[in-house]
Amino acid sequence: MADDRKRLFQKDLEIKFTKEHGDNKMEGGEITDKKVTYYRLGVDQNPRKVEMKKAGQEMAAARGLVGYNPMMHCGGIPLGQRAITPSFISGTDIMVETDDLHYVNNAAMQQMWDDIRRTTIVGMDMAHETLEKRLGIEVTPETINHYLEVLNHALPGGAVVQEHMVETHPALVDDCYVKIFTGDDELADEIDSQFLIDINKQFPEDQAEALKAAIGKTTWQAAHIPTVVSRTTDGAQTSRWMAMQVGMSFIAAYNMCAGEAAVADLSYAAKHAGVISMGDMLPARRARGPNEPGGISFGHMADIIQTSRVDAEDPAHVALEVVGGGCMLYDQIWLGSYMSGGVGFTQYATAAYTNNILDDNLYYNVDYINDKYDGAANKGTDNKVKATMDVVKDIATESTIYGLENYEKYPTALEDHFGGSQRATVLSAAAGSATALATGNGNAGLSAWYLSMYLHKEAHGRLGFFGFDLQDQCGATNVFSFQSDEGLPVELRGPNYPNYAMNVGHQGGYTAIASAAHAGRGDAWAVNPLIKVCFADDLLPFDFTAPRKEFGRGAIREFEPAGERSLIIPAK
Amino acid sequence: MAYEAQYYPGATSVAENRRKHMSGKVEKLREVSDDDLTLVLGHRAPGSDYPSTHPPLAEMGEPECSVREMVEPTPGAKAGDRVRYVQFVDSMYNAPSTPYFRSYAAAINYRGVDPGTLSGRQVVEARERDMEEIAKFQLETEMTCPALASLRGATVHGHSLRLPEDGIMFDMLDRCRLENGVVIMHKDQVGRAIDKKVDFGKPMSEEEAAKRTTFYRVDNVAFRDDAEVIEWVHTVFEKRTAYGFKPE
Repeated sequence: MADDRKRLFQKDLEIKFTKEHGDNKMEGGEITDKKVTYYRLGVDQNPRKVEMKKAGQEMAAARGLVGYNPMMHCGGIPLGQRAITPSFISGTDIMVETDDLHYVNNAAMQQMWDDIRRTTIVGMDMAHETLEKRLGIEVTPETINHYLEVLNHALPGGAVVQEHMVETHPALVDDCYVKIFTGDDELADEIDSQFLIDINKQFPEDQAEALKAAIGKTTWQAAHIPTVVSRTTDGAQTSRWMAMQVGMSFIAAYNMCAGEAAVADLSYAAKHAGVISMGDMLPARRARGPNEPGGISFGHMADIIQTSRVDAEDPAHVALEVVGGGCMLYDQIWLGSYMSGGVGFTQYATAAYTNNILDDNLYYNVDYINDKYDGAANKGTDNKVKATMDVVKDIATESTIYGLENYEKYPTALEDHFGGSQRATVLSAAAGSATALATGNGNAGLSAWYLSMYLHKEAHGRLGFFGFDLQDQCGATNVFSFQSDEGLPVELRGPNYPNYAMNVGHQGGYTAIASAAHAGRGDAWAVNPLIKVCFADDLLPFDFTAPRKEFGRGAIREFEPAGERSLIIPAK
Repeated sequence: MAYEAQYYPGATSVAENRRKHMSGKVEKLREVSDDDLTLVLGHRAPGSDYPSTHPPLAEMGEPECSVREMVEPTPGAKAGDRVRYVQFVDSMYNAPSTPYFRSYAAAINYRGVDPGTLSGRQVVEARERDMEEIAKFQLETEMTCPALASLRGATVHGHSLRLPEDGIMFDMLDRCRLENGVVIMHKDQVGRAIDKKVDFGKPMSEEEAAKRTTFYRVDNVAFRDDAEVIEWVHTVFEKRTAYGFKPE
């Protein structure tokens, strides 16, 4: 089967490696050629590098202090390098310069993280009960609508209760708003549509029913504070900012006396009861509060990405979009910047969502599983194969060997993923996601991830950087160990899980595995229905149904981010 | 009956070569002089003394220790040499060795070594004269082809790139070149120019590299064809997984 397959990456690699881009001189030839002429033309062969070099020279002239100079790359030795090739974003026809996939150069990537960090979900029920029982105030759909109108004024920084105070300019915070959602269709019908995340409209019918059943008659606020605020402060600011405005809005909307004792009860209930952060707090040594990327569990991240509600029939596609979002957030932003302060981590992540190499491996696996296990990789619950060691071994081995052989048969695929960490991520993500799809069991997928690492290391006599060699060789031992100090289901693990704290190139893949198990079953969510619904919101600047396409739009500079500051800075 | 080390499973030539590398019983293919080795390693000037970080152990007046008495120090440790490194990069295109098998070979056959394995490179740290011994061993034997493996202390990039036209592994710092049919190094492993060209001899032919390699490739010996190795990997995996259940 493997040899009959038209590889998904063939066309991308033919364009990427045999055509000239800018001044990038390429030899041509076939993507199966093992030898090539490297012209060693240096950075001037690449349009983006040329642009950056010019900017560096202009900056140095203007400020009298040297800056970016690509001749520094190699201690000033201008011997050049292989051709610098652009990349296709997987699943799209967008070709980008890879410099533009660094999050600093990509507004869509920044916005994805902004939109997660500035989000909190706050329960309304405890506050409503306090209003009704402690204060004797009647809560009706009309009062809720009025409260939401007040809060949508206050949350971005408008003053309520007191007379006019210092306020924020609404045009600088126009991305800030709150909506609500509920599993109660009757209440939802009474809510002004501008304020409602309508589960029935946003999700396929079966997913909507499951979500509403899980949420029940509870009511939740999906709040997004201003991008500019969370950028200036931190993730922990999100719930603080929400708490302040929510308390004031209740007081204003329900005409309460700000000094009466019962307001303290309401404040506590409204601000702190039922608050869901996107990420847990981190250990003190990492010095981060909630809503920072290191605290975001793989299950939360899987739920934040929304592909499962728009393409539920293709669970492999769901997993691949989650890989893109997860690798960008965890590798590029969390590990690349928060944990290391480095630059090169972008390349770990992009291997997983460019040039269709991972996509090819996963869709090969889907065909393999469906042939051998009677459609087990398709969406469904009755079609799943039992998660046994034999199944894990079979799928992980076939997937990994297929991927390894692609690197052996297609030297340009190998050249594209020129670091072992890139190859290890791609191969293991394919094996893990495929096994999760087939079994509907994320931990079986995680188990396959580790077997893939063993096979890879044994076949090629090498793996990734030392982190891979360490963590991936002890990982199998903690997959099914659920003692509280040793293990968790994959959905509840995250960068905070002890063995994963520095796993560059892993966490996006783990997220895909968590996602694949549930997408494979057709579940409406992976771990938290509230987070799934919260991000089912078309008003968010970043389109969470298609993160890879959004990264591509960011790279070609078509993405329009929030947090525009031109109103308050001098125009050039 | 004396124990005979098994080293590695598998029935293919790749598995057999892996066994050979780990056993240390490899064929010597070329000569590298001590001065040439010192030049390309780049840690000290050829002919100079080994710099030391402490006096010879015999002069140290060490306290009594049964472990010290049991373990004979390596020559480098005995003399007080500083710790230095040698780092190899091995191509994915049938290079004779791979990073893991260089590490295994070092750990099994030498004492006082600290091998580190990464994706395309493998570093051994040891006392300087001990390190030189293992570096020379690897350079002179079938563990190395000068075209498909090279010493690279910096900018190791290249092991997974296509080979340039002349069949030499890509090196952005151009330390190695094919000249008159032989591979020379005109820079040390970090990329600093050296006073003379060090001759490492002829590259292996494609056939010879395919015969001697420890790398599974689908166009040579496919990994999937070594069923015993895959079964063994599965066994390791299963044992480690089962251990995690922590049965009590």
